Amino acid sequence: MRGKVRKLSPPSERQATGGRMQVPLRPEIDTGTGATSGERARAMIEIASVSKRFETSGRKSHLALSDINLTVNDGAFVSILGPSGCGKSTLLYIVGGFVAPSEGVARMKGAAITGPGPDRGPVFQEFALFPWKTVLGNVMYGLRQQGVKRTEAEAQSLRLIEMVGLKGFEHFYPKELSGGMKQRVAIARTLAYRPSVLLMDEPFGALDAHTRTRLQNDLLNIWERDRKTVLFVTHSVEEAVFLSDKVVVMTRAPGRIKQIVDIDLPRPRIRAELLLDSHYQKYVVDIERMIDDGRDDAEHS
Amino acid sequence: MSTRRLTTVLMGALPILFVLAIWQALCSFGYAPPSLLPPPGKVFLRLAQQLGNVGFLDDILATLIRLFAGFLIAVVLGVGIGLAAAVVPAINAVVRPLVQVLAPLPKVALYPALIILFGFDHASKITLVTLDALFPILLSTYYGASMVEQKLVWSALAAGTPRWQILFKVIAPAALPSILTGCRIGLVISCIVVFLAEMISSTDGLGHLLVGAARTFQTVDMFVPLITISLLGLMLNGLLYGLRKYLLRGFPEV
Amino acid sequence: MTSARNIVSKLSPLLACLGLLALWQVAALWLDTESFPTAWHALQTVPQVLGDPEQLLNILDSIRRMVIGFSLAVLIAIPLGLAMGRSARVSAFFNPLLMMIYPVPKAALMPVIMLWLGVGDASKTLVIFLGVSLPVIYHSFQGAKAVEEKMLWSGAAMGLSGLQRMIRIVLPAALPEILTGCRTGLVLALITMVTSEMIARQSGAGNILFNAMDMAQYDTVFAMIIIIGALGIVLDAAFDKLRWRLVKWAEPHQEILLGAS
Ligand SMILES: Nc1ncnc2c1ncn2[C@@H]1O[C@H](COP(=O)(O)OP(=O)(O)O)[C@@H](O)[C@H]1O
Ligand SMILES: [Mg+2]
Repeated sequence: MRGKVRKLSPPSERQATGGRMQVPLRPEIDTGTGATSGERARAMIEIASVSKRFETSGRKSHLALSDINLTVNDGAFVSILGPSGCGKSTLLYIVGGFVAPSEGVARMKGAAITGPGPDRGPVFQEFALFPWKTVLGNVMYGLRQQGVKRTEAEAQSLRLIEMVGLKGFEHFYPKELSGGMKQRVAIARTLAYRPSVLLMDEPFGALDAHTRTRLQNDLLNIWERDRKTVLFVTHSVEEAVFLSDKVVVMTRAPGRIKQIVDIDLPRPRIRAELLLDSHYQKYVVDIERMIDDGRDDAEHS
Repeated sequence: MSTRRLTTVLMGALPILFVLAIWQALCSFGYAPPSLLPPPGKVFLRLAQQLGNVGFLDDILATLIRLFAGFLIAVVLGVGIGLAAAVVPAINAVVRPLVQVLAPLPKVALYPALIILFGFDHASKITLVTLDALFPILLSTYYGASMVEQKLVWSALAAGTPRWQILFKVIAPAALPSILTGCRIGLVISCIVVFLAEMISSTDGLGHLLVGAARTFQTVDMFVPLITISLLGLMLNGLLYGLRKYLLRGFPEV
Repeated sequence: MTSARNIVSKLSPLLACLGLLALWQVAALWLDTESFPTAWHALQTVPQVLGDPEQLLNILDSIRRMVIGFSLAVLIAIPLGLAMGRSARVSAFFNPLLMMIYPVPKAALMPVIMLWLGVGDASKTLVIFLGVSLPVIYHSFQGAKAVEEKMLWSGAAMGLSGLQRMIRIVLPAALPEILTGCRTGLVLALITMVTSEMIARQSGAGNILFNAMDMAQYDTVFAMIIIIGALGIVLDAAFDKLRWRLVKWAEPHQEILLGAS
């Protein structure tokens, strides 16, 4: 079953795009119409009419997110794409429970999200590793918090560290690792406590192009094994298309969902093949154009 | 690499040797009468003699007890209040103005009041040391704890850390570099203040030795406690440096 | 523009002062001993102390010495600290000596210095000078060390000489840190002034304080504590204002007040 071409459900999450309904541009880019298909995909995360307003110094407030509606199905790899400052991180933090929405609710498996929890594991662009702990200590942290015994936690963590390709670095401190290695540790630390959802906020944004490609591949391999639900923020169109089942394109401030694009490319995806694939190229070009449209709008107004 | 270290050490030794040489020269060539400036050899010989003297060691001990008691109380209070103020806004609202007023206050001026309240013995001196060492420790703890990267806290929360444990599991360890910097300053201050307090009013301790020697114009004996406190300060600083190196081994640039 | 919160935060140090005085008042009433007057009583004695021309002159003399010692220290310590921060050799040369001097209470040198220079202004000013120098050197050193190498490179590319780079780039870049050192030094100057006078017992604010203590004039003791304390708080606040004007551009950063010598 695994690795077969998986037809993704035309989802129900495409009703509201802040009034700006989009007509599908290309037949390949089926943005869905709001009708649920017969598939039994379970909703993992539901974001319903979420807005976020930040109080800034002075009396003005800043609308970062406006009326976001999005459903992420169990096992889906969904990317959020948009210009910097459009509220991608904020949306992810709301799902993480780190930031409360000003209006609307985010739900996880049907229950409203009120705070962070080990069912949703974040991976940040800044790695956010504990500098006072070694690689092993960082990866073990979550397991120890869950009450797993030290020896057992250690064994599991060592396996994970091997899986992310850091065997031999268990007793290194984060400062002794390169950026790519740090992000591998951060991913292992989050995977360790087995969240149902991975929330990744531009995880490869701080890495050089080469490291970035390698980590994308490794992430896909890990994901193919257990098909966790992933919510992945990026501003690289190629990265989003390469990794995802679905790409959510956002407009610049106030952040709204402009369009949701299903990426209907076979898995497992091999980068070398995909780069030559005309469907892949088309997705990239079309989404880039979509983002450019947004910019024109902003400049005209 | 090691030759470079060696030259660094030698470079640093130069001015100290230079000072000693001038000191010696002043004495040998008769520019300074021994009653004003005893020759360095004599001072260090006297120091060596004194280190074998139980009475002198008792004085060092008295000074060290006051120093450590005051310093440790300051560490406990400073770190505790600093962390609490960084985490609880209500505490911050009370602590901040108090610190604004009390930090620049010259604490030695309070010493007479402390003597009146706590007597001439250990208590008043320990309190003075605590008051002086407290604020640098408190302030650096506070700043360290309020600067903790938000995402470290989030990472720990997501991993299932209960909110009340975040203080001990994330904020305190993350603020450790800053806390230790505060402690280092606090320690130097403790050395200075304990000595001054003993000079102003005491019956024992290094500061008292200096005053006693000054009264009887025993210049050699005046230099001995000064050099002792300087060496003590250097040693304690070295110990704290080692502790810092060990505790912060994971942090970038110790 | 100024909100109510702003006003409260401006007034809060004042409230803190009142709170501390109230605490003192209650403690004094509760302990009820002759040697520990109430805050109200001590405050009433303040104008009496300042009204006595001899004592007022004494206090002004103290302040004069403090200002001279502080200014001299700043003039010498800043260039030295900056040079140490930009040159590994200079810092390797001076660091160990300074490390040895640091934990020595500068005011404790009074008895020795008095032997050489007598009990007059010179000794006391020298001691204040020594006390202020170290933190100013230290902070200037830290500030200069932290200056971005690239800034100096671009300066060199623009044709600035070594000295010009020091004055035009390192000095302004390190200014926030230098001023933090000066602020610490200011508090230290006051402390050293009081202690040196306590030890020399000749004249000055510290002398008044301890003479009153010896003569069991407890009202005067506590009035002097208020005067010296207020001096510290006012000087610090004034300097903070000045600093804020000079380095408005800098990001707010942590400052640690050193409180003794
Ligand atoms: N804590 C905050 N306080 C005020 N404004 C914020 C805060 N966090 C984010 N913002 C603002 O919200 C908008 C969206 O931010 P963010 O979610 O970080 O964007 P993105 O991740 O897409 O670059 C930005 O304009 C940002 O300035
Ligand atoms: Mg972001």
